[in-house]
Amino acid sequence: MPRATCSGSTLASDAAAGPPPATLAADYFDGRSARATPVTLRLAGGLLQVDGEGVSRREPVGAVQWPERTRHGLRVAHLADGASLHCADALAWDRWMRAGGHRESAVVRAQQSWRGVIAALVLLVLALAALYEWGVPAASRAVVALVPRSVDAVIGREALASIDQHLMKPSRLPAAQQERLRAAFGRAVATLPAGEAPAYQLLFRSSGIGPNAFALPDGSIILTDELVALVDGDEQVITGVLAHELGHVRHRHGMRMLVQVTALGAVASLVVGDFSTLLAGVPALLGQAGYSRDAERESDREAVRVLKAAGISPRVMVTFFERIGQWRDDEAGGDGPSKRDGPSGSALGIAISSHPADAERIRFFEDAARP
Amino acid sequence: MTSPATPGEAALPRAGFDVPTHPLALARSDAAAAHRLPIRFTGSGSEYFRIWIVNLLLTLVTLGLYYPWAKVRRLRYFHGNTLVGEHPLDFHGDPKKMLRGYLLVGAMAALYSVAGSFSAVAGLIAFVIVAALWPALLKSSMQFRLANTSWRGLRFRFKGSLRGAYAAMLPLFVPGLLFVAALAAMPDPEKPPQWFFAFFLAVMLGTVLLMPWLLWNLKKYQHDHYALAQWQTQLRATRGAFYGVFLKTLGVSLLAGLLLLGIVFLGAMAFGVAAALGGGGESRGTGAVVAALFALAAAAFGLLVVQLLPRPYLTSRLQNLLWGRTGNRSLRFRSTLGFRRLLGLTLKNWLLVALTLGLYWPFAAVATARLRLEAVSIETRTDPEALFDEARPADGEAAGDAAGDLLGFDIGL
Repeated sequence: MPRATCSGSTLASDAAAGPPPATLAADYFDGRSARATPVTLRLAGGLLQVDGEGVSRREPVGAVQWPERTRHGLRVAHLADGASLHCADALAWDRWMRAGGHRESAVVRAQQSWRGVIAALVLLVLALAALYEWGVPAASRAVVALVPRSVDAVIGREALASIDQHLMKPSRLPAAQQERLRAAFGRAVATLPAGEAPAYQLLFRSSGIGPNAFALPDGSIILTDELVALVDGDEQVITGVLAHELGHVRHRHGMRMLVQVTALGAVASLVVGDFSTLLAGVPALLGQAGYSRDAERESDREAVRVLKAAGISPRVMVTFFERIGQWRDDEAGGDGPSKRDGPSGSALGIAISSHPADAERIRFFEDAARP
Repeated sequence: MTSPATPGEAALPRAGFDVPTHPLALARSDAAAAHRLPIRFTGSGSEYFRIWIVNLLLTLVTLGLYYPWAKVRRLRYFHGNTLVGEHPLDFHGDPKKMLRGYLLVGAMAALYSVAGSFSAVAGLIAFVIVAALWPALLKSSMQFRLANTSWRGLRFRFKGSLRGAYAAMLPLFVPGLLFVAALAAMPDPEKPPQWFFAFFLAVMLGTVLLMPWLLWNLKKYQHDHYALAQWQTQLRATRGAFYGVFLKTLGVSLLAGLLLLGIVFLGAMAFGVAAALGGGGESRGTGAVVAALFALAAAAFGLLVVQLLPRPYLTSRLQNLLWGRTGNRSLRFRSTLGFRRLLGLTLKNWLLVALTLGLYWPFAAVATARLRLEAVSIETRTDPEALFDEARPADGEAAGDAAGDLLGFDIGL
């Protein structure tokens, strides 16, 4: 049989310096006793030969769990029945493996060269950037597309119940005004091409959190009396604000945020979670804020589309931002207009803010208003 | 190994092979001279950095599927560089089996989180199911990890029973169950009655007071059931000692808080001095800015101290207590992990990890492992060469290992 042939004579061409070591001294543990048996190892004909006092084994090379080359540490190989081979001289072991025709995996070669590691580092940064820029948004879109609308409805209902209980009171707007605003928005939405407007329901509430409008996953759009008062009931401005919220509904931003938070958290904990879960929360939070701003921009574009279709100038949204800015200044007290480009204007503020700066959004609507 | 193996010499140890398993012979070898097994860690930060980066990239581009391979490689590196009495540990887990475990546990975790966002009742049911499975998962995670760890060719074992796991862990769920019961007893959970707040406080306080005891319970279950061949360990630390460690940690936390107050006070003083010296106009403005910056830096530093000081204290004292009191009649561990050295290392690690945006993390992991492992040594009256295993232990369930990762179980060293 081939096992006895060609020991020591194979692959002589492989080694540059001196003849290749055909045999290697190692310690054999049988898996039962902690006592080592000195053995001689030989690689030949696809077989690992282990010979020593009371030990004579022939194992197919593929059935052995080989150690990976590392700069530090010993070498331990495992045989299928729980026996193992230990070698303290790692360099001799590696030379012997190479001479025996063993090919290292690409992973080990990359790990053991700084060039490979730097390439991996660059690829890692690129992969993270690509994941953030395209991977997570695309994945969230795909996942949300799979989630039936009934789930949105359930979540929306729960959210609305909780909001009504803790944050909102019934609207005090006259029914006639509610009807006028509802009709104005309905006319604007009706100008969109068929099938492009999602199902929605407009709800009026009086709020404890100031002028606001927001959308829930089930298509509920909540408009507060305070916002209506802020813009003096201007139907066109309110139509613009509602069109923005309709954009959130159409693109299912609420559901996508849920998926994105989960995905970002998973990636962040993969990268730094071993070190500190607290630290892992930071990139997840920043990334989430970035996605939130992208969602706002997407909804702003939607608002422009609806307004233009309805023949209303997107400039009405500029009015809205000016009013809300003024309101914020008044809320902040006598600090004057300096507050406006305070935290929300600086780059640091933007990094952790869920909305783009007002100035950027005003510019966007002004540009959209130009013919 | 260097001496020529004549047939006579080789026959001698072979003949004595079975002797230590005989009770009388074991007693005789107990009386023999003590063997000291120091622990040496030979891993290097730069090498682990290279392993970590490549692993991370592969895990990311395979959307996590590579994770078990990465984990096996990491464990093999850390185990293989842990030399106990000059013999390395090794890890044998099969990544393919572990991947199946991760997929299973991942699906369960996904169901759990989805259930929570669907409705409160579904979330509660999922929580109860996870809580009921938790002890079983702990047991199988310990079993898998130890059965796949070896030293001198011998596999470790975890001998804890399922019943023991439930006995050790169910008390941890008592506070949660009390709350659920109280909520169920309430007529309207949205408007909790007055007694609920008192009840809530009492349960929270009771939990905090019982925490060391609960942790002792869990550690007792773990450390009583580690085994290698004839060796099985036992935890002889008392509940009182656990309370001692936690009380001292509380003291250190309070001290850190006082330190923070002192720093803030100094900052305020500096602010006052700067304002007084500055006189008026421009220089007063810059003085105030400098003082404010100083106060801000001092507050950040103080916060860091409060965050960082008690943790290494607890880690070092608990490791010394746990491992210093683990052993059996012929085997004992010693652990002399110094608080100041661990604190220094922790501060350095945090600083460098923050400065390098996380790239220092593998170096930090290696340095921490070295400090913690090399603080431990083993003394035994049994010749390690005489260890002999009748049968190879079963591999254990890989799903348990994945669950252990998810729920954060560890062997603690």
